[in-house]
Amino acid sequence: MAAINLPLPRQRAASPARLPKGAINTWVLAGMAVLGISAVLPVLQDSTATSRGFQIQDIQASNAKLESQISQAEADVAGLTSLARIQRRASEIGLIPGLNPVYVTVTEPGPAPAKLPAEYLPGTSPSQAGPDSWWQPSDSSGQPPPR
Amino acid sequence: MAQSRATEGRRVWVPAVMFGACALVIFVRLFQLQVLDHGKYAAAAANELLSDDTIYARRGNILDRNGNVLATSVDTWDIYINARSWQDSAQASAASTIVSKALGLDASQLRNKVAVSQSVDVLIQREVDYDTGKQLLDAKVTGVIGVPGTQRVNPEGDVGASVLGIIGLDNTGLAGIEASMNDQLQGKPGRAVYERDTTGEPIPFAQHVAQKPEAGSDLVLTIDRYIQQLAEQKLAQGMKDHQAIGGDIIVMDPQTGEIMAMASSPGLQYSTLNLSDPNSTALLRNRAVTDLYEPGSVMKIITASAAIDTGVVTPDTTYVDTGVTYIADVPLKNWDNHVYGQQTMTGVLQNSINTGAVFMVEKLGAKAFQSYLDAFGFGKQTGIELQGEASGIFRRPTDSDYSPVDLATQSFGQSISATPLQMITAIAAAINGGNLIQPHLVKSTIGPDGKEVDQQPKVVAHPIRPDSSATIRQMLDAVVNPAGGGYPGAPKSYRAGGKSGTANIPIYGTYNDTQVASFAGFAPVSDPKILILVKLDSNADLATGTQAAAPIFASMADDILHYLGVRPDAGPSVTNP
Repeated sequence: MAAINLPLPRQRAASPARLPKGAINTWVLAGMAVLGISAVLPVLQDSTATSRGFQIQDIQASNAKLESQISQAEADVAGLTSLARIQRRASEIGLIPGLNPVYVTVTEPGPAPAKLPAEYLPGTSPSQAGPDSWWQPSDSSGQPPPR
Repeated sequence: MAQSRATEGRRVWVPAVMFGACALVIFVRLFQLQVLDHGKYAAAAANELLSDDTIYARRGNILDRNGNVLATSVDTWDIYINARSWQDSAQASAASTIVSKALGLDASQLRNKVAVSQSVDVLIQREVDYDTGKQLLDAKVTGVIGVPGTQRVNPEGDVGASVLGIIGLDNTGLAGIEASMNDQLQGKPGRAVYERDTTGEPIPFAQHVAQKPEAGSDLVLTIDRYIQQLAEQKLAQGMKDHQAIGGDIIVMDPQTGEIMAMASSPGLQYSTLNLSDPNSTALLRNRAVTDLYEPGSVMKIITASAAIDTGVVTPDTTYVDTGVTYIADVPLKNWDNHVYGQQTMTGVLQNSINTGAVFMVEKLGAKAFQSYLDAFGFGKQTGIELQGEASGIFRRPTDSDYSPVDLATQSFGQSISATPLQMITAIAAAINGGNLIQPHLVKSTIGPDGKEVDQQPKVVAHPIRPDSSATIRQMLDAVVNPAGGGYPGAPKSYRAGGKSGTANIPIYGTYNDTQVASFAGFAPVSDPKILILVKLDSNADLATGTQAAAPIFASMADDILHYLGVRPDAGPSVTNP
């Protein structure tokens, strides 16, 4: 019968509001954006981490190279200051071993030791801050002074 | 008319049940793999992905007392070739050309070595310097593998080699200070556990557990490189001049027990060391510490110290020498068969009269003499920081085969054996105020944090009183500075004291003509700064200790005290008006 597939008038569902033709739902757009960002972000992070990782490896290799150069330089300096080299160079430039040194007895007192400026001496107290200084000295309890 | 709903038939339930069953199977399998067998597969993955490397710590440096480097380590590479990579002849030819040029090898020999080797990775060269190896590795030549390592460098060459010792390929000390102080020098290795990719490289930011290596401590020795070099040169010259087969020279600070030089021959030389020669292992020991000898008349210092300290004699006590004395019907003669007549105890030392030593020890008695030998450290190790130290041998009154002849001969340094180090340590106690100080080679250690810890001198006994020690110094002063002068062992610029010794070498229970010529001396007498023992083994010219060893002492005393800036007792000086 023709009425078999027709819904009863009172049961007919209200027609949903229809968007204008060609328009995209805002929530769908937002959801797609979140999905897109969520997909791209880990890729970006992974890529950055991998790049940084390789940079770290390069720096570590560079570090190891510098450390070995330092130890080699120290060994070279030790060789250059060795007894045998010093004696050879001394001989080459005409120096000879000092025999029978003459000791001179001096009865005059030596010079007084040079005095250091006070700020270089150990145990000097810190200078008190002026009233306009931003640095407010604390009291003996270590707490800042009461305002 | 009412709408009838479509009934659910087999066409719906059957596929649903089938899909459900498949999903259930998959679920069960996943549960089995990811929950029940999780541990097994995680371990398998870890085994595949994780790599475990040991990070070796940098070995500590060894410095002399003034901070000069005696031993240090530099980074190197051990270069290997992966033989499988060189199976292609064209690749092998190209690679071998580059490798041979970098390492100074013959390319064809290199290819042959790799081709015939049974190993997968063939060692080509050890201890390639860091820059050369790095350039080779950075060039990514086919089949080249570099294993990082270190090489020990001795900037002073062979100076002090018998004290410093050597290390093995595993960076562990094998002889000398490198061995005995290995724990401090080696540090603690670290460990790195990381995930690696298919090429074996670590994956950045993947699991990485690292235990940082703890670098070894630096050692500051009591050795002075200049004095050590001087001792080695003087010993070599003395051996040559007197055709000796070996010898020792030890220089000690008698107030602190610090060893400033210890030269031994034959001994270790880095420049000629060949460990594949079985005879070379004998060179690894330090003979001043490991080898025993009979001291001869140098022992009279100890006999006189004991006799003076107990008060049985004074420096001016007299006796009459007839050239021979009989102990249990055994004749004991003076070394030169001379008859000295009436002599003081000081004269006994000046003329090295054997019968005078027997006179002193008979007054002491066996028990007292034995206790002084023990107090001076004979028969015991000194505890110096070197391995293989000998204790010394002599018969004691409690031994079943001890006889009165042993007491008599021990008084002048026969029938008793000691190491050169034991001898100089005992003599130091006799002249430094009576303190037996443990000899040591390590002055301080510098930790990885830069903190320096000094080793303090250790007094182990007080064998004699300070006034007895002062008396002995005066008696030994009289030996080197007799009335009339001319003693070969007298330095030019400093007043010294000392005693010579010429001892026959025992062989198969008796003595032959071979001898040990020695001299032990100290200077300045007023405040001893150095004590030197010179010993020449089996000198073919049979020169006595006074003739052969004493002049070496005199020369060294002048040089060393000038070097140390000690004001001379004699020589030109100027005083400002």
